[in-house]
Amino acid sequence: MIEIKDLHKSYKMGSNSLHVLKGINFKVEEGELVAIMGSSGSGKSTLLNILGMLDGADTGEYTLDGVPIKDLSETKAAQYRNKFLGFIFQSFNLINYKSALENVALPLYYQKVPRKERQEKAMQYLDRVGLKPWASHHPSELSGGQKQRVAIARAMAAEPKVLLADEPTGALDSKTSYEVMDLIQKINDEGNTILVVTHEEDIAHMCKRIVHLKDGVIVEDKKIEQVRAGQYV
Amino acid sequence: MFDRDVWQEIFNTIKTNKLRTFLTGFSVGWAIFILVMLLASVNGMQNGFYNQFNDDATNSIFVRSGTTSKAYGGFEAGRRIQFKNDDIEYIKRSFPDDIEYISARYYANGTARYKSETGSYSVQAVLPNDQIIEKTLVMAGRYINEADQVNKAKVAVIGRKVAEDLFKKEDPLGNFVEINGLPFRVVGIFTDDGDDNAERRIHAPLGTYQRIYGNTNDINTIALTYNPEYDLTKALEFSGRLEDLMKRRHKVDPEDQSGLNVWNYAEAFDNISSFTAVLNGVGIGVAFLILISGIVGIGNIMVFTIKERTKEIGVRKALGARPRQIINLVLLESVFITAISGFVGLLIAWLILAALGPMFQTPAFSNPSVSASTVITATIILIIAGVLAGLLPAMKAANVKPIVALSDK
Repeated sequence: MIEIKDLHKSYKMGSNSLHVLKGINFKVEEGELVAIMGSSGSGKSTLLNILGMLDGADTGEYTLDGVPIKDLSETKAAQYRNKFLGFIFQSFNLINYKSALENVALPLYYQKVPRKERQEKAMQYLDRVGLKPWASHHPSELSGGQKQRVAIARAMAAEPKVLLADEPTGALDSKTSYEVMDLIQKINDEGNTILVVTHEEDIAHMCKRIVHLKDGVIVEDKKIEQVRAGQYV
Repeated sequence: MFDRDVWQEIFNTIKTNKLRTFLTGFSVGWAIFILVMLLASVNGMQNGFYNQFNDDATNSIFVRSGTTSKAYGGFEAGRRIQFKNDDIEYIKRSFPDDIEYISARYYANGTARYKSETGSYSVQAVLPNDQIIEKTLVMAGRYINEADQVNKAKVAVIGRKVAEDLFKKEDPLGNFVEINGLPFRVVGIFTDDGDDNAERRIHAPLGTYQRIYGNTNDINTIALTYNPEYDLTKALEFSGRLEDLMKRRHKVDPEDQSGLNVWNYAEAFDNISSFTAVLNGVGIGVAFLILISGIVGIGNIMVFTIKERTKEIGVRKALGARPRQIINLVLLESVFITAISGFVGLLIAWLILAALGPMFQTPAFSNPSVSASTVITATIILIIAGVLAGLLPAMKAANVKPIVALSDK
């Protein structure tokens, strides 16, 4: 599903250049649930941004579902993001003047799905994250866990190939964190490919594979025995 | 562009930022309001001027005599120039193709009496053509005619005010009014659009008056209209020829304006036209400058809005919004705010003009209003203004890097 070969990325900081990713080689198969771990500054967020086509790599190859991702125009990148990727953010990033339903329907709007169909589909996904009764509520009326569930529904609504979650539990207490991870595990059980960036050990162990980043290189890449989040909920 | 969802988003942002939207829109609405009011004021002044001058035929020339101020042709300065009846014949003969109507005037003061009412009025003894030259409107009876002139009949056409003053509720037609002790039969009543003072006059046949007052041929003023097909240059050229001829005939220095004066209406009219054109230009210019500040205001607030919504735009882009869609959203919002607030300004200005405009009927300012073409132009300007105001912020928004927008750590 995802294939990365010798990926380099550096940022210019004034006269110095900061080498963040120093040759990443990395492969993700369909249906995997991968945790990307590392301390801050290890390059894990940069990697996720490149995977999410929010940022470009300096050198190296990136193939997503067989499509080479290179030198994309803004418009093309937008199209690919819409088609291939679903984003889940630490701070949820819901649009606060739109209801939960409208938020979930937004990626479908950019796919030019007709309005009626869009709303039906969005409602289905809200139902899947258990928030159907909250469809007309605005983000300000929802709890943190509910917001993240709306965000997950939104990420899934466009039926992307890969879900990218950047610290999805970073802003949540441990109980709600487990609820969210439980949801992510269930989505993964249905065969969806998910990448989770986290610095929390317990969250990482709820995935099936942990990739450890340190100073811009992968220092460890191992499959693990998944801890089910359901038991803590 | 007519996507329901786009509009929903625009309404949403406006609804959540009511005060900001209002303040933004106010500057543009204000600019349009001022634009319309300025143009209407200029229009009002123009109307006022034209009304004032409409009183007389616009192709008229008045020749007046006075006292010379320069020695000329063997005569000393200070000589009184007096026109006679044969001056009329002379002008008619000299310019058969240029002159449309010609009339002579003799002014006198008279005390008029009917029964117990008396009043002092100026009497204007004229030839029948004077009606056309001064655009005198006869509201009852008739004006002085050729027969009155030839027969030196003692008839009078009195102004509306005179009729009111002397006759009260009685019908003046056919009754005799005593002017300086002599009875004149009232044959008509006239009104004048120009001013009330003109209606305090009495018109009588020139011949009658010349006979009564010393059996003279004296004339005070010669009034004439030239060929109405003449344009300004031709009209001025004609009045120049007329002036030269009359000054030569009466031996007045060509530069002496007090001895003999030819006054051409076209000149004044031309001055007014160019004056109001300049005023119009100034009005449009000022309003445009104000509008520019309105546009900058909207642009400024849109930039601020974009900054505030950077994160939201980042999210949209992460979800697959194309740069064009972001530009459209911002532009449409800007055009929408500009157009709506401009229309409100336009509407308020228009309502004020419709309500108060007709109340202004002074000589210098009358019935200010705006034409449909002004309104249409203003509308087009508004839409362009909206696009201009939104363009830069929209491009800025489209260039928002989602990665920067979303970095909240």
